[in-house]
Amino acid sequence: MTLHSTARAAAFAEPAPIGAREADLGVALGGLVRVLTCGSVDDGKSTLIGRLLWDCSDLFEDQRAAVEKNGLTAAGGKHLDYSLLVDGLIAEREQGITIDIAWRYFDTAERRFVLIDSPGHEQYTRNMASGASHADVAVMLVDARHGLKAQTRRHAALLDLFGVRNVVLAVNKMDLVDYARVRFADIASEFAKIAAGFSFRTALAIPVSAVAGDNVAGPSLRTPWYRGPSLIEALGAAAGARSRADLAFRMPVQHVARDGQDFRGLAGTVASGTIAVGDGFLDAVSGQAGRVARIATMDGDRDVARAGDAVIIVPDRDLDLSRGAVLSATTAPATASRALEARLVWLSERPFDPSRGYLMRTATDLVPVSRLDITERLDLASLASAPATSCATNDIVAAALSLARAVSLDAFADLGGTGSLLIVDAIDGATVAGGVVVAAHAATGREADDAEVIIDAATLAAGLCRDLGDGPDDAVEFQRRAREVELLLQRAGVRARVSLTG
Amino acid sequence: MTHHQSHLDLIEAEAIHIFREAAAQFRKPVLMYSIGKDSTVLLHLARKAFWPGRLPFPVLHVDTTWKFRDMIAFRDRQARELDLDLIVHTNVDGVARGINPLDFTPSIYTDVMKTQALKQALDRHGVDAAFGGARRDEEASRAKERVFSFRAAGHRWDPRRQRPEMWNLLNGRLGAGETARIFPLSNWTEKDVWRYIARERLDVVPLYFAAERPTLVRDGQLLVVDDDRLKLRPGETIEPRRVRFRTLGCWPLTAAVPSDAADLPSVVAETLAATSSERRGRLIDHDQAGAMERKKQEGYF
Repeated sequence: MTLHSTARAAAFAEPAPIGAREADLGVALGGLVRVLTCGSVDDGKSTLIGRLLWDCSDLFEDQRAAVEKNGLTAAGGKHLDYSLLVDGLIAEREQGITIDIAWRYFDTAERRFVLIDSPGHEQYTRNMASGASHADVAVMLVDARHGLKAQTRRHAALLDLFGVRNVVLAVNKMDLVDYARVRFADIASEFAKIAAGFSFRTALAIPVSAVAGDNVAGPSLRTPWYRGPSLIEALGAAAGARSRADLAFRMPVQHVARDGQDFRGLAGTVASGTIAVGDGFLDAVSGQAGRVARIATMDGDRDVARAGDAVIIVPDRDLDLSRGAVLSATTAPATASRALEARLVWLSERPFDPSRGYLMRTATDLVPVSRLDITERLDLASLASAPATSCATNDIVAAALSLARAVSLDAFADLGGTGSLLIVDAIDGATVAGGVVVAAHAATGREADDAEVIIDAATLAAGLCRDLGDGPDDAVEFQRRAREVELLLQRAGVRARVSLTG
Repeated sequence: MTHHQSHLDLIEAEAIHIFREAAAQFRKPVLMYSIGKDSTVLLHLARKAFWPGRLPFPVLHVDTTWKFRDMIAFRDRQARELDLDLIVHTNVDGVARGINPLDFTPSIYTDVMKTQALKQALDRHGVDAAFGGARRDEEASRAKERVFSFRAAGHRWDPRRQRPEMWNLLNGRLGAGETARIFPLSNWTEKDVWRYIARERLDVVPLYFAAERPTLVRDGQLLVVDDDRLKLRPGETIEPRRVRFRTLGCWPLTAAVPSDAADLPSVVAETLAATSSERRGRLIDHDQAGAMERKKQEGYF
């Protein structure tokens, strides 16, 4: 049993009185940090994660027993095989999932750690990009004997592109270089040079030995010359580092909440910033503005909502806003945009096809893409961009997009929550690319007011689908044609929507 | 007022966000309700997501006819008190064929009375998205599961068609014949479920609390005998023991654990100090190696 779980159990020895707050119950942890682990098995990744779990987490006794039962490693002979904790659970088992990120959770006394494991094999680009999109901090792993590899720089570039602002370089296997200070210093300074080329907030190198446990859960006597934090401290520090509450307020509206009587509010999760009762807000696309009359939840009203809170904003006046609107700070609103520059990672096995229809998904909006042009492709070996017009799986490209109508956008570098997007195949719904907004150009005019054309089942049955019967295959074909019509119209810039119900 | 966001605040808000995204993007969602603690949490989060309105979708319980009587009573009381639109579905064909957990292997029983029953219910009600309480921490085969998990025609889980998920952007656009399973508790752990039940003061089935119950030891597992359908083998006796359940299901397939934790704080304390993972108590998972992974491909949650 770990120390902190014992302590927590002791706190429960006396039943808490009904009405006690969660702090008194001791049930909630201080916060949550999401850690991306990148690197290959050769660098000792599984062993490092296993060691982290062994030393720091609330592992179950049966999981510990399984490792102890297995005995010492064949190779070194001096240590337990901590990689069993990872390989047995996170599964190096191939499931054939196209993009496979494995999620694992553990608690220390202070906080929840979410480990996002992205496999390091050759097709790693899209895995790393999607892993990075969820992470507060990334751990890159190198073998102290070999130093940095070409892929260290590539990994750093991908982390930078997809929004990871804190990186840790774990210089592993220090036991195999006799904990040589000079060896570590060389690698750390080379890493610092690479990191300086990107916009990381923190970039820290730590000398560790996963098998011996040095600087993983606490300081090591074998590296007295190292004064920095241990790995777990460095990762924990990233929890507060991405405080989106200080940024400009944005709340994408998910739905309009009603109680069947007078209540009408805009439900959503605050993507960035803070808003208080009485504050003004506006929707950049429609230009409608209002003030916050109430911030409502099932647990009662609040005075303030900040990034991460799921709430209902009740405006002080009647506004015609619905799903897809983004409430913005009046002083620093989002851009209503129909044309943008984006950086995309191509996720689909099917290459980009300019004749295919695509949709763009933002936080809560889905808009037809009327034109998508690839302009540059990133060469991951040289990290240089070259002009390009095509792209396929694992490519990172610059693209210019035109949209069928205006949506609220921000540059990803400013506000990640309203500056990220997915490209969706209009026919089969697949997510073909993920991306970040590099620049959103302000739309002119009132495009959002364009009338929407509804294509209903009766119209289709009377004409285009006249030859179809009632069988299941006919129904599928009916739906396919309906989507095709919708798509062709949308690509022509018409706000068209198929409604097959009622 | 400033408020501090604990890890429970963050995963609660995330789950509410997922519920709202799914309800907006799918035509006919349904909430899979298994009466257990995870379902209790799922239902509570759904109510928060759509407050002050009613739930915009029905709640579906697949009744195998072998649930504990306390579970059924709890289900009906919740439906009444929370004003739920409850659908109860049983595979009547399976009942007619006499499929039961005592005479058939767990895999056959589960396939007919749970997996097939679920598919029937989803098809009958034209469901295009089903909310479930599955968590990534439950089992190795779920560590890579998506929040929006797609099923091809026939409810088949095809690993190659699973969509990558980036940031908190959830793409629910369906291809022809596709349906989706939605997992708002993806990032929760077993401990979080109890922590949240304690924090929110949620009512759960009394079987989670220790009490003296009629028990039977069979194949090394402690069973609580809930009715007279079980025939004793030679040498078996029913004895009263003080036990509770960490996980609930069909009574002949769910093992109890000896415990004195008779109220919520002591159950939470026991869970936080637990030394083994919860699925040990589920007999169907031990049936065959890789059982869960295969059940998933067949359409079980």
